[in-house]
Amino acid sequence: MPDTVPQNGGYMVGAYVVAAVILISYALSLYLRTRRSLRA
Amino acid sequence: MRLLRAGRWITAIALLLLAGVYVRALVYTPVERLQGLAQKIYYLHVPAAIWAETAMIIVGIASIFYLFLKDPRLDRFAHASAEVGTVFAVLMLTTGPIWGKPIWGTWWSWDARLTLALFLFLLYVGYLLLRSAVADPASRARFAAVLGICGMVLVPFVHFSVYMFRTLHPMPIVLKPSEPSLPGSMLATLLFSVSVFTLLYVGFVTQRYALSYLREQLEATAGGGDSGMGHA
Amino acid sequence: MPSSSSLRHAWAVASKDLLVEFRSRTGILSAVVFVVLVLMVFNFGRDPTAVSNLVLAPSILWVTFTFAAILALNRAFQLELENQALDGLLLAPIGRGSIYLGKLVANLVFVATVEVIGVPLVALFFNVEVWPHIGPLAAIITLATLGFVAVGTLFSAMTVRTRFAELLLPVVLLPFMILPLMWATLATTSVLADRPLSEIGGSLKMLAGYDIVFVVVSLLLFPATVNE
Repeated sequence: MPDTVPQNGGYMVGAYVVAAVILISYALSLYLRTRRSLRA
Repeated sequence: MRLLRAGRWITAIALLLLAGVYVRALVYTPVERLQGLAQKIYYLHVPAAIWAETAMIIVGIASIFYLFLKDPRLDRFAHASAEVGTVFAVLMLTTGPIWGKPIWGTWWSWDARLTLALFLFLLYVGYLLLRSAVADPASRARFAAVLGICGMVLVPFVHFSVYMFRTLHPMPIVLKPSEPSLPGSMLATLLFSVSVFTLLYVGFVTQRYALSYLREQLEATAGGGDSGMGHA
Repeated sequence: MPSSSSLRHAWAVASKDLLVEFRSRTGILSAVVFVVLVLMVFNFGRDPTAVSNLVLAPSILWVTFTFAAILALNRAFQLELENQALDGLLLAPIGRGSIYLGKLVANLVFVATVEVIGVPLVALFFNVEVWPHIGPLAAIITLATLGFVAVGTLFSAMTVRTRFAELLLPVVLLPFMILPLMWATLATTSVLADRPLSEIGGSLKMLAGYDIVFVVVSLLLFPATVNE
């Protein structure tokens, strides 16, 4: 059993940021595409 | 368009709740001793995995109904589920290796979940590419349905065999990013995340469905429309 | 259960395709030449001190068979497409299922021919003992080939009229080929390494199960690919 917890917080931050980027980008893509179709 | 509005609201609420998941997972959930902070990626990876796989099954079921009923709404729904499923598969494929690197020391491993993620991604890409390659809408819907059903049938095979493969060829891993027996607090965070992802799925699919519908309407009017109408 | 007339129809479709194929012989020739080419490249590329033949041979075997299968599948409906004969085929008083089975048999014969030529070539170029294991190998090869040709025949009916047909087919087919390939390569490795036959039991069962499921599914779905 390790005495200290492994210091890998950087990966956690990376993953959480990437996930947020992916989800928000897709939401944005949907918003923009539907807006374009509504306008046309 | 009412459906679109509903979809947008659901998505907005889901994204807001996602922020809540972030706070809960990052700040209020205990750190796992063996894996450290990186283990918290689990709270995003697992819900993404559940929905990447479920979305494919839904594509398959909608496709079966489409082939029998020929209702274009089913085809629109299958298409929407496929696109959203792709997003979740991409999420799996990105968070998976980022989780794996600190735990296994390598970005990629043929572990069960990553392999399944790759399969799902390839299935989705094939489905979307096939749709974009077929010009005639009726054929497109039928062909997509065929592929969707085959994809749905493939998933249990992949699921079963990658997990079987793992027991036959044990990986020399000491720390596996699999589900430890979850203490209550972690379980609660996971369930919270899964529900938010469910809401995201619903919101996304609703919007994507609405988009397909809007585009079909546009195509219909453009086809019979007069010259002199410009396009945005 | 397929009636005797539908089986006869299937055989008629198959023999028509096979007759055309073997008369022109270009398909088989290109596939065989390709196999030889791949084998030569793999041979030049390897380092005998780093990787033994036994490790490489199964993967090489299956890579070449895969490409041969894709070649066959790309040609499967091309014949009809070029001469608009597909409509004629569909108008003929035979069931859709017979067309599928006929195409499937023709594709299988094509790929089997390439495999029959390929296996001895691999044995020769890579110095692996194939003959003592020929029984189990034949079983593995038959089952795996049936798996991806069954799905491939279904998909080729859909992709043949699309714009990038030759590219689209492998892309769409890829996830469906990976599993049979995985089981086949594992089993081939085990067999060539003289491991006891009981070890490949699991792979063979998975292959057989996969074949049954996907032949049935493809047969059921084929009409949706050609019905207007």
